[in-house]
Amino acid sequence: MLSRVAERVYWMARYLERAEKTARLINVHTALLMDLPGRMEINWFTLIRLFNAEKVFSEHYQSGNEANIMQFLIADTNNSSSLATSLANVRENVRTSLDVLPEEIWEQANQIHLLMTNSLPRISDRYSRQIFLREVMKHCQCIRGALDSNMSRDHSFDFMQIGKHLERTDMTSRILEMTSLLLSEDRSDTLRKYDGILWTNLLQALGGRQMYLQHVHSRVEGASVMRFLMNDNVFPGSVSYSLAAMSRRMRYLPDPEMAMTMAYRVLEHTKREDVGAIPAEKVHTLMDYLQSELGVLHTEIAKTWFYPDSNGQQQAQG
Amino acid sequence: MKKEWNQYDPGSLYDELIAAVHQPREASYKLVEYLRHLTPDRFRQCVQESEVVIREMGITFTVYSDAGNIDRAWPFDIIPRIIHAAEWDRTEIGLKQRIRALNMFIQDIYNGGQILKDGVMPADVVLQSKGYRKACIGMTPPHGVWANICGSDLVRHSDGVLYVLEDNLRVPSGVAYMLENRNITKRVLPEIFNTLPIRPVSNYPAQLYEMLASLRPDLDDPTIALMTPGVYNSAYFEHAFLAQQAGLVLLEGADLVVGNDNYVYMKTIKGLERVDVIYRRIDDDFIDPEVFREDSMLGVPGIMRAWKEGKVAIANAPGCGVADDKVIYAYVPDMIRYYLGEEPSLPNVPTYVCRRDEDRAYVLEHLAELVVKPANESGGYGMLVGPHSTPEKVEEFRKLIQEDPNNYIAQPTLSLSVTPTSCETADKGYIKIAPRHVDLRPFILSGKDIFVTPGGLTRVALVEGSLIVNSSQGGGSKDTWIVGDVQEGEEV
Repeated sequence: MLSRVAERVYWMARYLERAEKTARLINVHTALLMDLPGRMEINWFTLIRLFNAEKVFSEHYQSGNEANIMQFLIADTNNSSSLATSLANVRENVRTSLDVLPEEIWEQANQIHLLMTNSLPRISDRYSRQIFLREVMKHCQCIRGALDSNMSRDHSFDFMQIGKHLERTDMTSRILEMTSLLLSEDRSDTLRKYDGILWTNLLQALGGRQMYLQHVHSRVEGASVMRFLMNDNVFPGSVSYSLAAMSRRMRYLPDPEMAMTMAYRVLEHTKREDVGAIPAEKVHTLMDYLQSELGVLHTEIAKTWFYPDSNGQQQAQG
Repeated sequence: MKKEWNQYDPGSLYDELIAAVHQPREASYKLVEYLRHLTPDRFRQCVQESEVVIREMGITFTVYSDAGNIDRAWPFDIIPRIIHAAEWDRTEIGLKQRIRALNMFIQDIYNGGQILKDGVMPADVVLQSKGYRKACIGMTPPHGVWANICGSDLVRHSDGVLYVLEDNLRVPSGVAYMLENRNITKRVLPEIFNTLPIRPVSNYPAQLYEMLASLRPDLDDPTIALMTPGVYNSAYFEHAFLAQQAGLVLLEGADLVVGNDNYVYMKTIKGLERVDVIYRRIDDDFIDPEVFREDSMLGVPGIMRAWKEGKVAIANAPGCGVADDKVIYAYVPDMIRYYLGEEPSLPNVPTYVCRRDEDRAYVLEHLAELVVKPANESGGYGMLVGPHSTPEKVEEFRKLIQEDPNNYIAQPTLSLSVTPTSCETADKGYIKIAPRHVDLRPFILSGKDIFVTPGGLTRVALVEGSLIVNSSQGGGSKDTWIVGDVQEGEEV
């Protein structure tokens, strides 16, 4: 397949994953805040920190209230990881790779786009917003479903899987980074009281609550949740699972050695650490490491398959 | 919608569906009956449904001037235009005859030019044509066919006859919209398909593939690509759609490179892979900076070398635009007689060639009644439409013709046929059925065999009285049905 098309389907999958996770996260966070008393370490602004977007947000908004934060995360095209930006990028990458994708994907991408255009004026209203976010999640899953059932397991599919898993690992690591707050020794007593609720919501944000209950524990507690999301071998949302799936996919591609070696190195590193047992600061460091390694891995992927002649320097998307 | 249809009156114009007030034509009788029995609410619902379908199916076209809004929804009218199968069969024969002659002409022009030596056409008309490419001299593409994809524009005059207005041979567009128009109609008016034998158009992508594959008879399974100028091109939707539907690799010039062995390669994740056939949707001028425009970023250096050595087939062949010229158009009936020894079965619009003394004298005398066109412009640029013009403009063209008669032709002003079209009225929500002017662009594929689409793309001028059908200027389009007779008691 063409290198340029490989790059587009890879990014399509990344944005699709990002959009779905963003929608889910916002919904779960909204539900969580309804359970918590006001004035806590965890509030609306937590979401901004999760996306590392403090700087961009403060450039465009005066106050970190719910309305502004929702506008920024959902509708604002100045925000490169807003839902609107992600979905626009999904559509553009589909539009420019129609020749390799199952045909109904284009129609699905347009449906999300229309949903987006029609719903944005109403997102400040919590009720409409929740309906909208659920619709987005449903549409994302429809696209994924159509890809899973109708697409040949060719290289386009391999690149999508790699993109999806890489983005998923990245999103998980960001969410886990925030948990250092939940683990820190100096957290407030009020927060401690809500530990159980917080960890449950975290699992929900990553779509893993039920699988956790079934396969790990019927009681939700920090150390087990961390281990589950980092190292579980059968849950498709865990970091280890995604990294392993990514390297397996790479094996089907030409000259995968460098990229595979890198992916394995990251996997080994995450397995070496028992996240359930390390202090909050070390969790933070581990997640930082993970995110920067994912960046390096992306560059290697681009260099190997998207821009074999130019050392991976041309990165059109991000 | 009884009232709307009963009141519908095309006046003195030829109408494609309605012969006279209350009298649908034979082929359109069932459609008109069906639409007549819809309630205004149901009809409006169908129109709205078509708009949603178009947005969901992402059927768009790109308008350069639209800042920030790259893709516009495709303008579509739900009332189909119908042509009787018997008339279409005659038209198809005429289109095939025409493309055979045109291809023999192009082949002749680049290989000795016998037609010029025999004095059937003046040599300078050809050699000065903007589409003439010296670089093509001596070439014979596979099957001797140069224009593999042709989109001829047909118009019907008030005499009821279909005339060929022009032959688009360079990179004709619109076929994707023909296919999508049918898809929309199937979704919006599904019931009607049970009652009428409508010829299907859905085979076009497969025919396109077969035609392209036939350009490399030496290979069993050639790699075929569609080359687009890129994602911002006005026809990008069509390029992507055709590549998807026909199973072609969609690529840009930057994805290609010509090797030292003069084969064309594409840059893939596995390295370079050979491409055997290229359906290019980019003009000659930009295809190879080594041969044509040096500043072209869209093309591939060396691709002409590869083509000339037969290492890649290109459709349409470079240089085929020589026959896409308004003066040369005037000679197409002569070409048909010269190469095929047949009488043309589809008429040209009567054309006065200003370089001929007699024609020029007539033109200068009747300027205010005629349409004057320069040889090489397209899209209606540089034209004079006599009856809708000013005396100053007429005098300006008198001078232009006298100074450079070789560059001009003139034609009588045609009265384009109309067809019932749904139009929004000022009274919001109420939809009126009114006559609007239409043309028709069928597509003709020529490789080893010749194939004509049943019907084509009908474009419609949505503004009352307007003759402008271009979608970029507010024109719309319609599904086009070729409808045969239904035998008594026959189920479709």
